[in-house]
Amino acid sequence: MTTDTVLDVRDLRVAFGDMEPVRGISFRLRRGERLGLVGESGSGKSLTALAIMRLARRAQLSGEVLLEGEDLLTLKPRQMEKVRGGRVAMVYQDPMSALNPVYTVGKQLVEAIQLHRRLDRRAARERAIELLDDVGVPHPQRRVEQYPHEFSGGMRQRVMIAMAMCADPTVLICDEPTTALDVTTQARIMDLLDRLVEEHDTAVVLITHDLGVAAGFCDTVQVMYGGRIVERAEAEALYRASLHPYSEALLGAAVDLNLELGVPIPTIGGSPPLAGSLPSGCSFHPRCAWAQDRCRTEVPLLREVAGRLVECHRADERAAAVKEETHVGA
Amino acid sequence: MASPASLSLAGRFGGRRRRVPRHGSGTTIVAIAVLAAIVLLCLIGPLFAKDPGVLDNANRFAGPSASSWFGTDQLGRDLFARMVAGGRISLGIAAGATVVSMLLGALWGFTAALARGFLDELLMRLADVTMAIPQLLFALVFVAAFGANTAGLALIVGVLLTPVTARMIRSAVLTELQSDYTQAAVAYGASRWRLVLREILPNVSAPLGVQASINAANAIILEAALSFVGLGVQPPDASWGTLLQQGYQKIYQSTSGVIIPALAIFLTIWMLNLLADQLGGTDDVRGRTG
Amino acid sequence: MSEPETTPSGAAPVPAAPGAPLVVASGLTKHFRLGSRETLVALDDVSLEIRRGETFGLVGESGSGKSTVSRALLGLLPLDAGSVRFDGLEVTRLKGGELRRLRKRMQMVFQDPFAALNRRQSVAQIVAAPLEAHGIGDRASRAARVEEMLDLVGLGPAYRERRPREMSGGQCQRVAIARALALDPELVVLDESVSALDVSIQAQVLNLLGELQQRLGLTYLFISHDLAVVRYMASTVAVMQRGRIVERGSREQLFRSAEHEYTRQLMSAIPAVDPTVERARRRSARTEAGVSSGG
Repeated sequence: MTTDTVLDVRDLRVAFGDMEPVRGISFRLRRGERLGLVGESGSGKSLTALAIMRLARRAQLSGEVLLEGEDLLTLKPRQMEKVRGGRVAMVYQDPMSALNPVYTVGKQLVEAIQLHRRLDRRAARERAIELLDDVGVPHPQRRVEQYPHEFSGGMRQRVMIAMAMCADPTVLICDEPTTALDVTTQARIMDLLDRLVEEHDTAVVLITHDLGVAAGFCDTVQVMYGGRIVERAEAEALYRASLHPYSEALLGAAVDLNLELGVPIPTIGGSPPLAGSLPSGCSFHPRCAWAQDRCRTEVPLLREVAGRLVECHRADERAAAVKEETHVGA
Repeated sequence: MASPASLSLAGRFGGRRRRVPRHGSGTTIVAIAVLAAIVLLCLIGPLFAKDPGVLDNANRFAGPSASSWFGTDQLGRDLFARMVAGGRISLGIAAGATVVSMLLGALWGFTAALARGFLDELLMRLADVTMAIPQLLFALVFVAAFGANTAGLALIVGVLLTPVTARMIRSAVLTELQSDYTQAAVAYGASRWRLVLREILPNVSAPLGVQASINAANAIILEAALSFVGLGVQPPDASWGTLLQQGYQKIYQSTSGVIIPALAIFLTIWMLNLLADQLGGTDDVRGRTG
Repeated sequence: MSEPETTPSGAAPVPAAPGAPLVVASGLTKHFRLGSRETLVALDDVSLEIRRGETFGLVGESGSGKSTVSRALLGLLPLDAGSVRFDGLEVTRLKGGELRRLRKRMQMVFQDPFAALNRRQSVAQIVAAPLEAHGIGDRASRAARVEEMLDLVGLGPAYRERRPREMSGGQCQRVAIARALALDPELVVLDESVSALDVSIQAQVLNLLGELQQRLGLTYLFISHDLAVVRYMASTVAVMQRGRIVERGSREQLFRSAEHEYTRQLMSAIPAVDPTVERARRRSARTEAGVSSGG
């Protein structure tokens, strides 16, 4: 473990009785690194975030979540409360419901600030105004007295980001932060996050189903399927050529302005599996064009192939095929 | 704006909160069993019990015994016999009132919800006005107009319960109308009747069940209250409310005379409330996945 | 689907005249009163024309009025002003039974696949409902039609007795499409129909919609906030903002040389699924806009 690893997740599992929606996730995050957690419904990506924050009630967690060396899963609730929002903070998906409608924005910000800093109310209020200004809310002195319903969706999300960043966290987890926003607002919010984490050298875990958003923001991208990580690579490498058949399918199916017109969108049949009914062996095998007998019975392990981590029995073959293509194309 | 993330939760648990019984299914069984026992007893009891009208001055205020399970009242009449006969009346009125209130309430509530605008306002303000009138006063007027026979009482109590029922049904229907499937039904050309009967009604059956149970419980209380003050069932008929009143007047001579009707009323209402809880269910079983 | 002698509605099949206008809306205006003083202008003099056989794309963000347009076109919403002509018939002047009969010819697929299906009904009941509502056929013929529709959308007979909660979002949306097609409509309005679906499922459904359009000669009104998806689906595109259409044109026109500021804003905000491209794009967008604030 290098000294600037701030988050080290080891074999994290989340279970609800018989179901295990997260089945052994491991990854490391360096200071200032931006990791994208990409996947569809049922992949377990949101639950991973909640597990790290220990916000998954009624879940059985196992494994280790080391925040700067300290295992969060072993902390007592009181201790975890200090960490949550302080050293590791979260930005939620829906700014409409994440803010309390009966308190002013200022009051909520001040509350967040005072939980993690020893400041009296006046100093905290000034800090709140500073934060609002920092996240790009115009006329912060006035707006700090307003209620959430007086803010637009994008503004509310900025407030949420301000609350998350108020104690200068080491790790910031963003769970679909722009999904509920209009596309023009989305771009601005991502720019804001970009600037803030750059300034504060915050490590970020960005959870999203939007491959375009992940492409623009993340250094490294992890693709999740059926509760496991199926591929992790640097963003450019992944988007150029993915080794796992699912990553390839996902990238192929994404619609952006460069999508080829007039032909069916390349995609795979079937739907992502639910936690309660996972296929045997490799959970992707029923939908995989590369599936062999081995894939039905044996669960593949995450291993290093061609400079990235992949969980596929045929990863080596695929890596060779990609090499062929690039050589031929060169 | 719905997104794959939010829908993964929805899909997992049926698109909205799943109704989880609050107490567990054992409670439902007990509640239904007790209610069924009470109803059964009142239905067939009078067949094998003594004649509730027979006076026996030698045996007044007797305690429970082998021959007389609940003892006797101030005129020597067998209390068990009076209770099952009274039960027939009380439960009968409650059942009638529930039916009346549910039918009228549904008519009122559905019309208001579907009409919206002026008619809706009118109907709801009418409900407000009706609910503002003291119930006993209302009952007094109705009794004067329709008399205090069993059917009349069922009607009166039913009408008293209707405004609240109408409100609740209107609210449930409005909720459904906000859902896309009702829009979809209008879009594919469903008539008003089809919309109400085939699309909306099955989806409001849970709140309707709850309301019916609550109405039944309230009906029992209302009828007992009316009979207690003399506005309800008239002699020689005696409902549980009447028995309660008569027992209360002779409380120093015999406690069982007041306790037994009180217990019967209490038990019935309690079981109905438990049933209402079960039918409604409240727990938000929204798990987190995806 | 083979060519029937008559469509389920009993009318002779509409003579296919692609290119002729199927829907002509002019001057659509709708205000919502909020409280005693404020009014929300949902639609402000909106006019559009959808030609038979084409896919007309309507793009806008939340509050743009695009969903209001769809409901107005289907006669689901009373208008303050304006007219909607469907194949020559004035929709806004139809009442009761006439309007209901017209509905056989235009259908809608909603955004939330779970909410759009009656959770108390089985798939077979849901898809048969429009047929029942119009008194078409008998039980046997309706069942056959249901099977035909399910097959069309790629769902096997095993799905007949399933309930919405037992299915995924993509499957539910297919059922919604099957239901919409049961009456053999000419126009299908797709109101954010793929917005709530996962990436791979969205692609499946878009492919299905394209295939169905070819096979059945359907006309689509495709509404979405996602400009990239609209570009893929629609040949004519209109952009809405705050109740007005700010720009319209063919796909080529719009995406090659958009004129309106808002359209260009929308386009520049769409992330590219490629890190190098995306980062370059955002860098240039940022230097153009200066320090970002607002929104």
